Amino acid sequence: MSAAASVKNKPLAGLRVADFTWVWAGPFCSLQLAHLGAEVIRVESASRTCVTRLLPPWPDGQPGPNRSGYFNQYNQGKRSLTLNLKDEQAMEVARDLIRQSDIVVENFAAGVFERMGFGYEACRALKPDVIMIALSGYGATGPDSEYVSYGPAQVPLSGFSSVTGYRGWRPMHIGVSYGDPTAGLQGATAVLAALIHRRRTGAGQFIDLSQWESTMALLPEAILAQTMTGRAPERDGNHDAIWAPHGIYRCAGEDRWVSIVAASDAEWRALAAVIDPALPGDARFATATTRKQNEDDLDTAITAWTVERRPAEVRDRLQAAGVAAFPVMNAKDLHDDPHLGSRDYFVELPHPEVGTRRHMGIPFRLHGTPVEVWRAAPCLGEDTDYVLRDVLGYDAERIAALRSAGALS
Amino acid sequence: MSGDGSAADALAGIRVVECGDFVSSSFAAKQLADLGAEVIKIETPGVGDTARRRGPYAAGVDPERSGLFLYLNTNKHGVAVDLARAEGREILARLARTADLVIHNVAPGAIAELGLDDRQLRAAKPELVVTSISPFGLDGPHRDLRMHDLNLWAAGGVATLNGGGHGSDDMPPLKGFGQQAGYQAGLNAAVASLGALYAALGSGEGQLVEVSIQECLTSILEMAYEFYPYMGLVASRLGMKPIQPLDFLECKDGWIFICCVEEHQWQRFVELAGSPEWATMDLFENRLSRAANWDALQIFLSEYAAEHTVAGLYAKAQARRIPFAPVSTMGDLLGSEHLKTRGFFATLDDGAGGSVVMPGAPYRHGTTPWRIRKRAPRLGEDTDRVLTELGYAAEQVAQLRAAGVVA
Repeated sequence: MSAAASVKNKPLAGLRVADFTWVWAGPFCSLQLAHLGAEVIRVESASRTCVTRLLPPWPDGQPGPNRSGYFNQYNQGKRSLTLNLKDEQAMEVARDLIRQSDIVVENFAAGVFERMGFGYEACRALKPDVIMIALSGYGATGPDSEYVSYGPAQVPLSGFSSVTGYRGWRPMHIGVSYGDPTAGLQGATAVLAALIHRRRTGAGQFIDLSQWESTMALLPEAILAQTMTGRAPERDGNHDAIWAPHGIYRCAGEDRWVSIVAASDAEWRALAAVIDPALPGDARFATATTRKQNEDDLDTAITAWTVERRPAEVRDRLQAAGVAAFPVMNAKDLHDDPHLGSRDYFVELPHPEVGTRRHMGIPFRLHGTPVEVWRAAPCLGEDTDYVLRDVLGYDAERIAALRSAGALS
Repeated sequence: MSGDGSAADALAGIRVVECGDFVSSSFAAKQLADLGAEVIKIETPGVGDTARRRGPYAAGVDPERSGLFLYLNTNKHGVAVDLARAEGREILARLARTADLVIHNVAPGAIAELGLDDRQLRAAKPELVVTSISPFGLDGPHRDLRMHDLNLWAAGGVATLNGGGHGSDDMPPLKGFGQQAGYQAGLNAAVASLGALYAALGSGEGQLVEVSIQECLTSILEMAYEFYPYMGLVASRLGMKPIQPLDFLECKDGWIFICCVEEHQWQRFVELAGSPEWATMDLFENRLSRAANWDALQIFLSEYAAEHTVAGLYAKAQARRIPFAPVSTMGDLLGSEHLKTRGFFATLDDGAGGSVVMPGAPYRHGTTPWRIRKRAPRLGEDTDRVLTELGYAAEQVAQLRAAGVVA
């Protein structure tokens, strides 16, 4: 299927994104727009390539800017244009691209993009109804606005780490650079709302997104505990403030675990009846309040049962009784998961340097205007000629001159 | 409707009906409400949303003053309608005909019996978008499994990546604080719903939008999943990180997160630390070797951090454009001069004579700003008005109320 045909019915078909992002937050924002059918053109530097092009995993352990699974996961369905923005001719190409774009996305530290010559006012002069979003670490204003930040640092900065961890232990992480996808998704929401506004009024606008602030939007219970009771929650592992049992329990096998939650008396009675005939009558666990008070004993009793069983057996036996239980899935489990496989969720498209490998797909389905990934992530500069010729209308001579002047690197 | 978006709001004129519980659909609809959409939330009479029973509470359990509910339902209107009753489903059907979007997180097996079948709703109004959020999506062998947030965090592949290390390798995989599967689902549902609404503005055609929470979580595994299809390696919280330093260190007065992603950041940190001899060791030559030899490097860095305060080291690092971050406590966040200057925290009426301070705008639109127009609704607060607008006579409403269909 040709690219044009494949995006015909997607919601954002016909819209173009000039994508000056890098690392993860910005690319995750523009990924959503690509999923929804916008033509996303990543403007990249060949000399200072995106961090994710330089990070593993690489097939056979051999690095290469087009070989990273990290980059290839989060840039599916986008195009890549290489420009050396230190060159004035390349700057003019970038300005032409903005003139032809509906949306500009960038995630440098605040002020950097403006100093490069692309602040909102500059972009608006090029395209009066442009929607521009800047996803910076700290936001465009305020005393710390020029501080630099990466997604992994947003986890502690936003407050998540101070309330995440085992009871009595040090603050801990979440396991992924949580501030990045969280900001990226909220950035996409902000852009889509601005598009709806533009459709109604014809007016574009600037959106200032602080990753710090957008990450705190997911931490209301801890922040509200402080503001409403004067006390933040203590770190308490996988436990819940109210429900017990609420945990991840060791199973048979090496580093195998299962999650089990009972949020009501009915769920508890069902769980207890499966694991030990004596448990439903155990006074320590008779009510939600006493289960919470005795949850260490509860965890011990549950572990005694789970540790002799495989996670799938625990899932099947407890789910059959109406209890929420599910194995802790690792990458191989997900790769081989019959449920995800049955939903055609995975994306496996040919790529010139890594072959056809499995990637995670689009977690939402639009049944009327189906969205699917139409192409694997681009190699560095793969679409430079396409963009200059077909989007910007440059002739072959002009493209050759730009290339020989070093503007396209 | 009173109190709803003026033309200055991005989503002015968009009407949303939300039939959901707890975090995922409430958070999705909150994002739209805070951008100016008119959201009518349906709760079950006498029961109400789970978030009402979660707190935190300023003074004793009170379903009208639960902090989580107040946060997740800002700017919404509330009606209490029992969708298990035919008369309740008729109210939903009439309400849906006035809406642009119906969003819910009802279990797939209960969707039809609660009157939320998308074909039926769209037969009455083709422009309608219906968004369904569910643990595993609307088909597949796991569709009907019972799942709470922690189970989803495990099912999505995130839990296995966190915990362990520093002598705690025997400890279980560790969740992040809060109902994070629900938030991620809410984020994705907002994106997908707005995409479908944008399409409907052009085509006049609505559609079913399906969000799988498990899939939402598998989409944020960073490079962890791809290690398997690319290299045959299974990422684990017990293994080494791909690059370092990206870790917590204890200072004199608290914890700091040290973060050097780029080589130039590491070099500036070495300068900041006074170019100590250990920094020249081959073991620590680049970000990959620093990860491979993190056990050794961590000892040197811990000694260095222990000589500094969190604020002092954070400021010195940032002055050199090194992306360190403090481990903020909730008190630190509320006291932050930067966040105060930006006016981040929102203060609103709790509906019972008090006020609540909560997270505010996650993004700032230049001309259509995110804003709080009203506090979250009391259970059934807008039932009478909404039913009257749908054409129910006062005595019909009274009968429905007496029969327990509405409250």
